[in-house]
Amino acid sequence: MKGLRYQLKSVLRDKFCLMTFLLPIVVAAVLHFAGQIDFSSLGGFQFGVVENGEAVKAAAWLERYGSVTVYESQEELAEGINEPSTNVIGVEADGDGIRTIVSGDELDMYRQTAKKLPDLYRHRKRLAQAKVQVLERPDVLAGFQDMFMAVTLIVAMFMGCTFNAMNMISEKEDGVASVNEILPMSRSQYLLQKISVGFICGCLSAVLTAGICFRLSAQDTVIMLMLIILSGFVAALFGLIIGRAAEGLMVGMVYIKIVMLLFIAVPILSFLVGGSHPFLSAVCYLVPSQAAFEGIMDLSAGNTAEVKDMVILVSHCIVWFLLYLGMFGRRRSFLKFLKG
Amino acid sequence: MASGKFFSMSLAFLIVYTLYVNFGYVRFMDAQLYNVYLYDPAGEQETVSASVRRVSSKKELKKAILDDTNSVGIDASTGEPRLVFYEAAEETDRHRADYALSLLLPAGKADTRVIGSRTPEQRARKEITCELLFFEIAAVGFLGIAAVLFKEKSMGVIKVHAILPIRENVFLLSKLVIFLLSDLIFALLLTLLNVGAASAVHILPGVLLQTGLLSLMMALTGLVCALLLKDFRQFTLAYLVIAIFAASPVFLVANTAVKWDWVRFHPFYHIYMGLKNAYFGTDAEGVYYYLGYLAVIILLFLWARRVFCREMRREG
Repeated sequence: MKGLRYQLKSVLRDKFCLMTFLLPIVVAAVLHFAGQIDFSSLGGFQFGVVENGEAVKAAAWLERYGSVTVYESQEELAEGINEPSTNVIGVEADGDGIRTIVSGDELDMYRQTAKKLPDLYRHRKRLAQAKVQVLERPDVLAGFQDMFMAVTLIVAMFMGCTFNAMNMISEKEDGVASVNEILPMSRSQYLLQKISVGFICGCLSAVLTAGICFRLSAQDTVIMLMLIILSGFVAALFGLIIGRAAEGLMVGMVYIKIVMLLFIAVPILSFLVGGSHPFLSAVCYLVPSQAAFEGIMDLSAGNTAEVKDMVILVSHCIVWFLLYLGMFGRRRSFLKFLKG
Repeated sequence: MASGKFFSMSLAFLIVYTLYVNFGYVRFMDAQLYNVYLYDPAGEQETVSASVRRVSSKKELKKAILDDTNSVGIDASTGEPRLVFYEAAEETDRHRADYALSLLLPAGKADTRVIGSRTPEQRARKEITCELLFFEIAAVGFLGIAAVLFKEKSMGVIKVHAILPIRENVFLLSKLVIFLLSDLIFALLLTLLNVGAASAVHILPGVLLQTGLLSLMMALTGLVCALLLKDFRQFTLAYLVIAIFAASPVFLVANTAVKWDWVRFHPFYHIYMGLKNAYFGTDAEGVYYYLGYLAVIILLFLWARRVFCREMRREG
């Protein structure tokens, strides 16, 4: 226990670790508050008309649907439409009606909107009398934001990896690792302490993040906690493996980056591609974060997490633990055998 | 340095980016307009557009709009169509309602004038290639440069230089030229592979010019960081600040409809837009842009030279 306290102390002194600890929490808070801003308005329409053209009369009507920019000349309007970072739809008068101008490189939805706009203008009186029932958006957050939260939580969960790796590599660089070799501490003790450092910090970070992001029932909280603990353990193991494998700080950083990228990219990929490729989603489960991600998504959608995810996570814990022992435990005894 | 991991890292990133653009981004980035679901048991609606999806019960309609919350449901079971959907932004809601209902009304002739020459795929490819290149040079490449320099510093290269009869300018320039060349080759390959050779040919000079300027600036910043900061660990903190500062507002403003006035004061916004304009073949940069750019590079070079000399004096 005392050893553990020293370990934690050494980790907390490290600014890098402290920052990686705080990062997901800050992101979660930002996402939580950003969630109250409606991002769908960012996709609102932009229209452009020429100042002295007939279409200016339609401007008031266009403002029902989005913002209207008035350009001084036809050339400026054309430039605005062609501008690659916006999706301006040009509007010009066409007899009683209107005609639209697009660049042709817009996303499908803007081209479709432009195509349909003259019809909307023609029927505008009839459309104004429509009976509309607007429902409140269901409490479950909209899909993508959910995904971002889950990913943030994944980052927090797998933070333990960074902790352990950085901790061990800096020990290696300072030469503490060589001192450790001759200290009266058994390997299992060393292993336990190192895993605990990453594990505790990763879990703590994840619990705080989850606390900010999700409001869960008692039963779901238990499941979430299980997910956090299991992934925290896998992450700590990964950190241990990186810490042992990397010779220097820079190599370690590259390893951490690759592992984190994999852990984040794989669930997002499988989320976007969806269930359309059963083989692909099965392969994705080879990365431990995938199971955790699925579990979190289930929880946030209000379902209880599937047993499958838990089982996969547990098997990841076992497999990686055995792999670690196989990789480094045996090599050591092999070296010992060679020496003596 | 040639044997170092810097080049293999660049190559790996080049492969990853190319795979992402060709197999990921171009396929996923196609947003469709809202789906419209119609429940019309008596078949009273006569002129229904082909893009309307029919459902066979009220329950099914409810489920359809709940599963796809951007969609619009039309319940025409009472004779008069009633629209039902989940709320989004006010303007979008109005458009959704009008759009859905207009699909039940006779359509006029759709004559939309197309004035651009790009296809959506070309635009998507140029956009993402530009973003990746900017990100690579400003964030990933910068990290690589600093890593290489820190390694050299710890190996004592600077100490050796202090006693060698080589002018300090030569040392700095040799470093810059190597990073510049590697970035230019990276930009060339990335553009050719992802934008396509045919449309890349006439934008390449502009792209390479912008890449060269950005590369010089980032390499000099990396050099100054490597000389000023004590170790790589300290650098990672500085790096995080620089990378977030350089990258974040730019993407938001350049790619979405968010327009903040203060972004004009963000230097990286102009740099990014310079690169983007080069990709789209519109050169909106004036003389002041290039003068400012050159001034920054010269100042950074002088600063790097000063800290380098100081470092040499301390070491030697």
